[in-house]
Amino acid sequence: MVATTAEQPFTVAKIPVSSWSFAIRVWLATILALFVSFWLQLEAPTTSALTVAILAEPTRGQTLEKAAFRLLATVIGVTASIAITGVFSQARDLILAAFAVWLGICVFAAKLLDGYRAYAAVLSGYTVGLIAVQQIDHPQHVFESGMARGAAITVGILSIAVVNTLIFPSDRQPGMLAQLAAIHRRVREYARAAFHREPANSAAFLTLLREIVALRPAIASVALESSSGSVRSAAARSAAVALVAELQAARLKDDLEREASGWAARELLRRDAEVRQDLAALRSARWPLRVWRAPLHRSYRTAAESGIRAAAWVAIASMFYIWAGWPAASFSLSFVALVTGLGATTPNPRGFTAIGLVGTPVAAVLAGILEFIVLNGADAFPLLAVGLAPFAIGAALLLSSRNFLWSGFGRFNLTLIMVLLAPSNPQTYNPQNFLVTTLLLVVAAALLLAAQTLIPPVSDEKRRMQLLADARGELLKHGHAKGEALEEAMFRDASRIEQFIAVGGAQDSRALAEMLSCFDQSAVLHLCDAKLMQVTDGPLASLAGEARAAIVTRDTATLRAIAPRFREQATQEDSHDADIAACLVLTSNILELGSGAVARRKAT
Amino acid sequence: MAHTFPELIIGGVLLAPFVTYLVVTFVIIIVLRPLLPVIGFAKMFSHAAIAELSLGATILGLLMLLF
Repeated sequence: MVATTAEQPFTVAKIPVSSWSFAIRVWLATILALFVSFWLQLEAPTTSALTVAILAEPTRGQTLEKAAFRLLATVIGVTASIAITGVFSQARDLILAAFAVWLGICVFAAKLLDGYRAYAAVLSGYTVGLIAVQQIDHPQHVFESGMARGAAITVGILSIAVVNTLIFPSDRQPGMLAQLAAIHRRVREYARAAFHREPANSAAFLTLLREIVALRPAIASVALESSSGSVRSAAARSAAVALVAELQAARLKDDLEREASGWAARELLRRDAEVRQDLAALRSARWPLRVWRAPLHRSYRTAAESGIRAAAWVAIASMFYIWAGWPAASFSLSFVALVTGLGATTPNPRGFTAIGLVGTPVAAVLAGILEFIVLNGADAFPLLAVGLAPFAIGAALLLSSRNFLWSGFGRFNLTLIMVLLAPSNPQTYNPQNFLVTTLLLVVAAALLLAAQTLIPPVSDEKRRMQLLADARGELLKHGHAKGEALEEAMFRDASRIEQFIAVGGAQDSRALAEMLSCFDQSAVLHLCDAKLMQVTDGPLASLAGEARAAIVTRDTATLRAIAPRFREQATQEDSHDADIAACLVLTSNILELGSGAVARRKAT
Repeated sequence: MAHTFPELIIGGVLLAPFVTYLVVTFVIIIVLRPLLPVIGFAKMFSHAAIAELSLGATILGLLMLLF
């Protein structure tokens, strides 16, 4: 959540000053959003305050990126609401069924994306819950309700953008440069250890890999930070991709025969130079020499399973509400959809619902104190502003915590206090309404938790198996997506390993070893193939063709036989042909190691 | 002479002229953004972010004044 820097930050009451400034920014933006909404007499001022609470992110680029995706997703969600209401008018059950399917599709999309793109996907899903389902008894209001929501969200976005720009603007970019440079230093240390033939340190390799891949969403948000942001973002992305390539080159040096080690050392130096160029480009806001994309591994099967389960949870909840026949059940159902959607963007959806179940009563108590003890009938705006201060600032401080649990708790509090207080002009103070709303929220969280216990989310074990199957399948297919560079394919493989570790892959050492073996094989096969592709004419062209055919059939004996013939042709030790010879030997080594790993796994 | 504002009507829904100005400003900013680093905009100001916001406000104001 917060940029990690080497030096100790200045603290007030043991909380870093950056967190304080973040919390005060959130409070000021909330006040501004509410003031503008009241002044413009918008129908849904609460939504603008909620928008601020949702867009509360530590840096400006992140806020703007999330805001852009929120706006886009709201447009998609409102369009879907109008379509669903129009197609299934007068048919309550069909609307609910269509809503469950739509949410399932959105969760499927979210599982294929990361960062704020995933958030936008689920937001398109639960916006239908907030608009079409809440207006299920008055379908003629869907358009107006959608417009009111759009206007309020725009006001919220503008408020937080202006406050973030004027007060203590915090940029991610300097921290990003420091982080990338630090990772580069550690990659070089790792390579040095490999060079001195110290025992292979696979834990260090995995830590570095995870840290590089984890930077991906942050790199995207740098683009909106300043006018030179898109250039810096491209440079940072290229640096991250090049770092994965350098890390892979360092890993290849781990177990090498003498003849290939000279080539591997040159390869490592070349990668290192690329990283240094990209970091220099990032520092001086220039375009990098090569702009690489950072593709993400997408597990379609797991995503589809998650989508189906999300649709099932919402369907179960809908059936319960139809059966119960409560008057305000549509509000509760939209909260079920919201928690289902947001939970899909976290690694543990059921844990997220549990936080919701615990967080809702706490937020209700806090909102009750604010509404009926602190404000208690006040109708002046300054009083609302002052009254909100401790609650908004406190929740935002929690949100900026590095602990996942605390920050999730803070986010829940910040948003739910706004939902329960429902600031409006003039403010209404109705204890009965408040209690009913609280009850409906708690019931929604409890119901969802029950549904998730009945149909559990996709287990970590299953996701690991799927990732491993994906890795194997891709290796067998040989060849990467159209227009994808070698380095980009390597980054995608690295992102798969990161996902594998994130679902507890570190405990399953055998599967992890196979994952890493697939990563090595895929990298070296692509590298060798690319080198052979360069030999298009001359006496060695037919030999190169043979070698490529042997790579496809994984014929290591032929590869070993071809290697000396390339070396004979080489005029110098470091010529292209000598490189190919070394690469062929390395490929056959790694393929043999890999097939050994598979055989061992099959034997057990 | 009174200033007349261009009306924007989408599918029978009358939108406030301010929305048009806001959208046009947004489009101009998007077009202008890649050019700013070329002229070294960020290096001219101590707080480039505030300068960019001011640029946006200036464009919006000019649009409202001129059109």
